Amino acid sequence: MLLEVHNLVKEFGGVVANADISLQLEQGEIVGLIGPNGAGKTTLFNCIAGYYRPTSGKVLFEGRDITGWPAHRVARIGIARTFQSMKIMPNLTVDENVMIGAFSRTGDRKIAKQEAQDILRLVDLVQEANTYPPELPIATQKKIELARALATKPKFLMLDEVAAGLNPSETKDIIQTLQLIKEVRGLTLFLTEHVMEFIMTISERVIVIAVGRKIAEGIPEEVAREDKVIEAYLGERYAKGR
Amino acid sequence: MSRILRDIFSFGDRPLSERIAFVIFIVIVLAFPWTVKLAYARAVMIKFLLFALFGLGWNLIGGYGGQVDLGQAKNVGFGAYATALMMLHWHTPFWLTIIPGMLFATAESFAVAYPMFRLRGHYFAIATLCVALVWKELFVFWEWTGGARGVEIPIQTAPNFTYMQFGSVGYHYFIFGLFMAEFLFMNWFRKSRLGFQLQAVRDNEDAAASLGINVTGTKVKTYCITAALGAVGGSFITAYYLYIDPELVMPLDLSILIAMTVMVGGAGSIWGPIIGAAILIPLDMYLGAWLAGGGRYGIDFMIYAFIIMIIAAREPKGIWGIVERVKKRG
Repeated sequence: MLLEVHNLVKEFGGVVANADISLQLEQGEIVGLIGPNGAGKTTLFNCIAGYYRPTSGKVLFEGRDITGWPAHRVARIGIARTFQSMKIMPNLTVDENVMIGAFSRTGDRKIAKQEAQDILRLVDLVQEANTYPPELPIATQKKIELARALATKPKFLMLDEVAAGLNPSETKDIIQTLQLIKEVRGLTLFLTEHVMEFIMTISERVIVIAVGRKIAEGIPEEVAREDKVIEAYLGERYAKGR
Repeated sequence: MSRILRDIFSFGDRPLSERIAFVIFIVIVLAFPWTVKLAYARAVMIKFLLFALFGLGWNLIGGYGGQVDLGQAKNVGFGAYATALMMLHWHTPFWLTIIPGMLFATAESFAVAYPMFRLRGHYFAIATLCVALVWKELFVFWEWTGGARGVEIPIQTAPNFTYMQFGSVGYHYFIFGLFMAEFLFMNWFRKSRLGFQLQAVRDNEDAAASLGINVTGTKVKTYCITAALGAVGGSFITAYYLYIDPELVMPLDLSILIAMTVMVGGAGSIWGPIIGAAILIPLDMYLGAWLAGGGRYGIDFMIYAFIIMIIAAREPKGIWGIVERVKKRG
């Protein structure tokens, strides 16, 4: 098992953002994490990636207990992430942004530069290499974040709403990119998304959370038919009315 | 090893125009004592090089690191006092006093860095300012540092390379040598892994952490290096003025002037500190002398502050930011 989360709880003051969530991801899977706004998806990501310390519960990566590790240590053992609200380095060029990712493993600038170029080629960003990210469209910036995360050579990649704000053709483009990198790199992907078309297309398995709790899990088509899931998204009336 | 050497001396990533401008700058500085005989002009030139040196060091934490440190004067003081006290009490040659000053500044910075970097932005700036002021007061009250009276260095009768005492031409090349050494170090640093990671931390701490960068660790390392570089300039001040006291080497004004030089010139750029010092120092010394000569005290400070305010409000990337924008348009 690559990633295991056991009975994870995260409270902010009196607010319970994650209540007793358990889940497991196998090596090589693509798993979607869905749920309505405020369900606790990003909180769960932050707990796994070391941005929040869980109130209780455990996070295991390759069998190793990483609960409460700081974010940079989590990153160094092979967990990479992107952010819902993009976090790009605006004063560094696209290829420097990606080089920073490669610098997590090597101190050699030549190697870092070479690896950055390889990744930029993989995600089709070679032409933008020497520009500054704020000059580029949102879809391209999302790809830069993706490329930067890949440059750390992760085993496990968490994508927080990577398709949010993209138009249908850009969404299709990012799906193709993700499938390509999964094949080339043999990555395990864990993604949250609001765009249902996106998550249902790409995921092999989805986990549904609502108000901080896991309410369903399974292959996308089946989960989408479950009453509890429809209720969480559309309200009780729709679930019973079918 | 050869790659490190190449990184130190290579400016290949900078445009040709910048490289030419820098060569012209070096030629002017080297030729300066041969063409200009005026004592005051020579003093202005030496002060310019000294503040360019200070700016280069501060640019690490303040420019590449984006942390507004308003306490660099404490490190200048550590360097100055290490040199002064060692020369006075133990007759240590000047060159052997530089490293102890740097080491003390580094150790002190390491000790205060962790609590300080729990703060961000303005709060961090205020903390650095307070620490520097506390040190200044300590040096005023301590007997063994000479207190408020300061330390006087015994004057040598003939030019002397052990204690680095000679005429203004000697000091000119001496400070230029220190400046060039620090400049080449910065040229290496900006291309190093730490340099890139520091810029990543400046631009976005969360993103930096997600790429395996220890955010606090990176800031602490840089803060310590900045301190060591500040101490070098302090050692020079002792050799140059032959007299130091806390008001001369550790005042708040000095911390602010060092930060201002970099901000006016262009923080986070290799040329920024040089441009900033080239504008602020002559302006300060000539404007001050000219206006005070006419009995109009204080007006120079107003003009000075006005220029700084304009640049801070209109161009956060300083004069170098303006240059880059114009080049991009052209």
